Parts: sequence; C-alpha cells; structure tokens
Amino acid sequence: MSAPGISEPTEAIAKARAGDPEAWGTLFHDYAPAMFRFCRRALPTREDAEDATMEIFIKLRRNLGQYDSTRSFSAWLYKVAANHCWDILRRRKVRQDKETEDVENVPLEHPDPSALDKMIEERSSDEVRKALEKLGARARMALVMRYYSDMSYDEIADELGVRRQFVGVVLLRARHELRKALEGTAALTAGGRA
Amino acid sequence: MSEPEDEVKLPARHLDEMTCLLYIDRQLDRARGLEVSAHAADCANCRTLLRALERESRLMTRSMLEEDEPLPSRLAAFQEQARKSMQWIWGLVFGLAATGVYALYEGYVQPWQQKLDEAGFGGSNLLSLMIFQGAFWKGWQSMLTLIEVLALVTVGLFCAAYFRRRIRRGSALALVVAGLCGAFAVPAPVAASELRHADTITIAKSEKIKGDLFVTAGRCRIDGDVDGDVFAFCQAVDVNGHVTGDVIGFAQSIHVSGVVDGNIRVGCNNLTLSGTLGKNVLAFGDSLRIDSDAKAGGSATVFGGTTSIDGTVGRDILSFAGLLSINGAVGGNLKAKGETLAIGPTAKIQGSSEFEGKKAPEVAAEAKLGSPVKFTKTERKPEYRSGHYYVWQVIWGAAFVLFGLVLFVLMPEFSRQATRSAERIGASLGLGVLVGCGLPIAALIACVTVVGLFLGLSTFFLWYASLYFAQIIVGALLGQWLMGRTDELWPRIGRMIVGLLLARLCFLIPHVGGWLKFGVIIWGIGAISLALYRRMQPVVAAGIPPMASPMPPAAPIGGMQPA
Repeated sequence: MSAPGISEPTEAIAKARAGDPEAWGTLFHDYAPAMFRFCRRALPTREDAEDATMEIFIKLRRNLGQYDSTRSFSAWLYKVAANHCWDILRRRKVRQDKETEDVENVPLEHPDPSALDKMIEERSSDEVRKALEKLGARARMALVMRYYSDMSYDEIADELGVRRQFVGVVLLRARHELRKALEGTAALTAGGRA
Repeated sequence: MSEPEDEVKLPARHLDEMTCLLYIDRQLDRARGLEVSAHAADCANCRTLLRALERESRLMTRSMLEEDEPLPSRLAAFQEQARKSMQWIWGLVFGLAATGVYALYEGYVQPWQQKLDEAGFGGSNLLSLMIFQGAFWKGWQSMLTLIEVLALVTVGLFCAAYFRRRIRRGSALALVVAGLCGAFAVPAPVAASELRHADTITIAKSEKIKGDLFVTAGRCRIDGDVDGDVFAFCQAVDVNGHVTGDVIGFAQSIHVSGVVDGNIRVGCNNLTLSGTLGKNVLAFGDSLRIDSDAKAGGSATVFGGTTSIDGTVGRDILSFAGLLSINGAVGGNLKAKGETLAIGPTAKIQGSSEFEGKKAPEVAAEAKLGSPVKFTKTERKPEYRSGHYYVWQVIWGAAFVLFGLVLFVLMPEFSRQATRSAERIGASLGLGVLVGCGLPIAALIACVTVVGLFLGLSTFFLWYASLYFAQIIVGALLGQWLMGRTDELWPRIGRMIVGLLLARLCFLIPHVGGWLKFGVIIWGIGAISLALYRRMQPVVAAGIPPMASPMPPAAPIGGMQPA
C-alpha cells in the first residue's frame, strides 16, 4: 500500500522530522497528488478535497513525530487521511442520518452473475467515478478505503466505527449502491445518445 | 431488524454474494475458503459471480487511481516557492475589485446622490426618504401586507424545516399541516378595539368609536370621536375630530387639527399640529410644525430636519433639529442641539434656553426670554486627545468581547470555518472588497423598489452586523497566530479575545488606526462570505442518501444457503 510508483521515503521522513523544509517539500511533492485523489474520491466536492488535503498535510507536519518508521509510511498517511475525511463527513451527515434508515433496511437482491459480469465489462472508469460521486458518505468512504488505499477490514472497521464483521456488509451494500448508480449513469448516457 | 434468512433471496445451493466477496477479499478462514474453492470448481454460476466480483474490485481500483484531474493550483502553491509566485494573482483580483467598486460608485451611486441632493433629499434625510416618502412606495398598507406575507412564509419555512426530518409519512405530514391550518383559523381573542384596513378610511363626524382604533390605510381621516387611542399606519392621516387617548402613528404626513387629550407620538415625514393637544408631543420626522393657533399642554420632544414652533407649548422643548425656529410661547425650558436656532420677535420662553450648535442663535430683540440663550459652540477636536475616548474604547472592547463570546458559543462551527477562511488572506480581502462595498449598494438599490424594501433593509442590517463580526473573526485569527491553532471551543474563544483586544489596540494608533480597522473589516467580511459560500456548497452528491450507523447485518456471512 503506497502512493503509486513511490518507494518508502525513509530519508526524507528523517530529514523532515529534523525540520528540513526541503525534505518536507519532497514529501509533499511525492504524496500530495495521491492524497488529493484520495480526498477527491471520498469527499463530495473538489473544494472539500483541496481543503482536506491541505489540512491533512498540516496535521502530518505536526504529527510526523508520531509516525512509527517500522511501518509503511503510505499506510500511515492513508490512515490519517481516512480519519480526517471521515471526520468531515460524519460531522456533516449527523442531520441526515434519520433520512437513511429505510435505505439501510432494504434487503439485498442476489445478483445474476452473468448480468453483473456483463455490466462490469461495459462500464468505463469514468462512469465508475461519476457513479461513485452519487453514493452515500459511508458507502463511498468504505469503497475508497478498501479499493483505493487497500486498507484492511480491521482498519476500515476502526475508521468507520463499526464491528469488524459488519465491514463486509458495508462493502457489499456499497457495491450494490454503486451498481444502482451505474445503471442510472448508463440510462442517462443512453438517453443522451438517443 | 428482520432475520437475515428473510432478507436475502437466493437460488438453491449457490454461494451467497457475501461469501464470494469475503472469499475474494481473503477474509474467510482456511477451511471455509477451501469449501468455496471446491464449490466454485464445480459450479459455473458461482464461478462467474466470483469472477464478476473480482473484476468489479479491479474496475473500482483502476477508476479511483486514474489521474483524471491535475493537482489544484492551490495545493501546488502550498509549497513556499510556488506560493510566492502566485501572490500577484490576489493583487490583481484586489485591484480589479477595487476598480470595479470605484467605477460603480462613480457611475451610479454618486450621480444618484447628486440628483437626490438637488431634489432636496440630502444624505441625512435618506432614511426619511426611504421610509416615509410616498414617491417610492405605496404606503404602509402595502408594507403591512408584505410583512404579513413574509411573516407567514417565514412561519411556514420554520415549520417545514422543523418537521422535515421528523415526518416521512404522508399521513403524519397531512396531520401537521391540518393542525397548523387549524391553529391559524382559530379566531383572535376579542378585544375592545376596532381594526380598519382599506385604501381610504373616513371616520365620519357623527361617528363615535368606543375603545382604541387601529388603522392601516392609504389615507385616513378622522372627523368623528375616538374614545381611546388611535394607532395609524397610513400614507396620510388627518385628525379633525376628538381623540380622548393618544395618537400613535407612522405615516408620510400627519395633520392634527382636532383635539387630542393624550399624547402624540409619531414617526413621519411631515407633522403639522394646528389643533389642541392635552399632553406631550414626541415626533421623529423631516418637517415638524406647531401652528400659531395650536396648543400643546405638555412638552415637545422633536428629532427632525426642520422644526417650527409658532403655537403654544405648555412645558419644555427638547429639540434635535437641523433648523429650529420659535415664534410661539414656551411654558418651560428650551434645550436644543442642531445647526441653527432662530427665535422670532413673537417668541416667549418662560424658562431657561440652551443651544448647542455650530452657529450662534439668531434671537430677535423683541423676543421675551426668561434668561439669555446659553450657547455652546460645537467643536471638533481629535478624539484621542480626550480621556473619554479611551474610556469608551474600553467599553467598546468589552462589548466586542461579549459579542464575540455569544457568536462563538451560538455558532461554534461557523465561527471556526470563518476563522479558517480568514487564513486565505488574499481571497478574503478580494471578496471582502466586493461584498463589503457591494452589499450596501445592492441593499440601497433594493430599498428604492417597492418589493425590495424589506429585503433591502434586512440586508443592510445584516451587513452592518457583519462589520462587527468581521473584526471578531480577524481577532480570532490573530489570536490563533499568536497562541497556536486549536479546535476546542473555549481555547478558541480565549484566542479570539486576545487577538481582538490586540487589534483594537492597533486601531487606536492615530492616523493609521482607521485604515487598519478598514482593512480588518474588509478582511473579516471576506472571510465570512467565503465561509458562507462554502457552507452553501452541496454536502453530499444527489442520488442515494448517506448511510446511517450502525449498519445492520442485512446479508448473512458465510455458507451456502438452502432453497
């Protein structure tokens, strides 16, 4: 689990910890794009993602001393980012919780494997990103943590504040939401073409 | 929560989707994993499902990792070097905004101001112009109708906002709406008063009204008797009859030629008293006149542009008028503050006379005064040379701290966001110039239209409040810079107080302080606007609403399901 194409920046971390602004600049340069993308996928608007990325790096600079260098730097960074983004979403969604109870209790339909396989075959990355934007906060956050930053079920449970055995359910429901959104995107595309 | 078995509809003896997901995510124990592998080897359907889920995972990862957007310039600017190179943009924005506001002022505001001055409506009379001049709006009747509609809409919106999250069923919503309708339909309690509401209202000479009279009309004429008070919200009011109580009114013009046993308390453009008044008169207006045959038994307190007292006032006169002219009799003392005081030859003032103004009073030699007029010339000297100035600064500082405390406690999240927005100095200053200067102009434009008066005045008051709030926000940021960042409420309030007091100390610096204050206000208004803008951004994209916590285990984990 690391930012694409980047090996562990042990030396830069050590220098940044010692207060070297150049090293800090290197860390920012190497990890900011991946962090921004993470925030962009997890948060509703581009402005939110920009703000969150800045705040994550401010936090990072302050808390770099707490980083355990025996562990993966990227994993730690994603954990900080996930924590920050989920904090933002959780604060905002308190007032929306009541509205979503019904959605939570809708039983999941078992998919038709062939139809599902066909749908996935036909969808582009762009469509998936658009569909992702339509998901609820928890669903999107769960998918981003799992499939963008490759976080484990334990880490996801920790971040979302659910029991570990519910993480699978959260992810499965999120996938169902995504498929529904993808169907909507496809319908829109078809309509547009017509 | 229903049982999991009831929730998932599965074909006979196939792997359920949850098991497949846990399998591809390697979350099953070894034994269970082997079972799934063995089943998938024999079952084409489940194999397809496993493959589809795996492809779905890969598709998601690929979609999320793709670099579809470049890194925003703001983030690139986060590094010191890049940030320096971006400074000129904010300078440009600031310059353009200032030029725009200057052009707006030169092109629209100043010509209008000149025209108004030429028409006789100076800056000091602008409020009077907006509120009382019938040329710009139809009168209190339409104003009241507007206020009624706005009040109902506001109540409706509050109810909708309050019940929106509590009611999802149509029947419950219908019940609430019916309840509200019922509440509105309940008749108002009967009182010993009469309410009249029409374009023109005339109380005929032969008519007698027992109790108070409430009138909202374009024109109101009272020729008969009212045994109580008169409350009038009209364009023009004429009282020719007899009112045993008070006359309280807001109108463009009020003319009292009858008899009023009580007081007259009015806010109007023109007040003319030519009848008899039993007690006192209190008037706010542009032109106030007490005619030569008028008699007021009590005192007269007037705030206005031009005040002329030719009749009799039984007791004291307290006047804050641009031009005060006295040709009648005053039973008590005269105390006046304004531009000019003219005491004519027929004037009789029994008590003392005091006048504070720029010019010495003009007193006719024939005037009979209890004592010579004591004149105090108004002089302007630098405020900061007097001790009072500093006492007031301390009082203002304490008031600001209290105001800030209330705002931070009432709106902790918004004040935090506004402080955070203030960190973007360039953006805040640029936006501050636009909003700080543009909002009052927009409010003024709204005011001179009939429909926009209420909106315009509300906007103006909000803008005025924001001038103070802005200083608090910048104070909070200064405190944060001095004492370090924190997200907790009370430490933030502490920082706000320190920063605010420091800023106010800087405002005391002669010559520079005023400019500093202006800059801080612009900065703060920009930060508030930025925070408001952010707050209005959509929270969650449209579509499926976000999930609530905790998530119930709606789908079972593990095992093939029986038919």
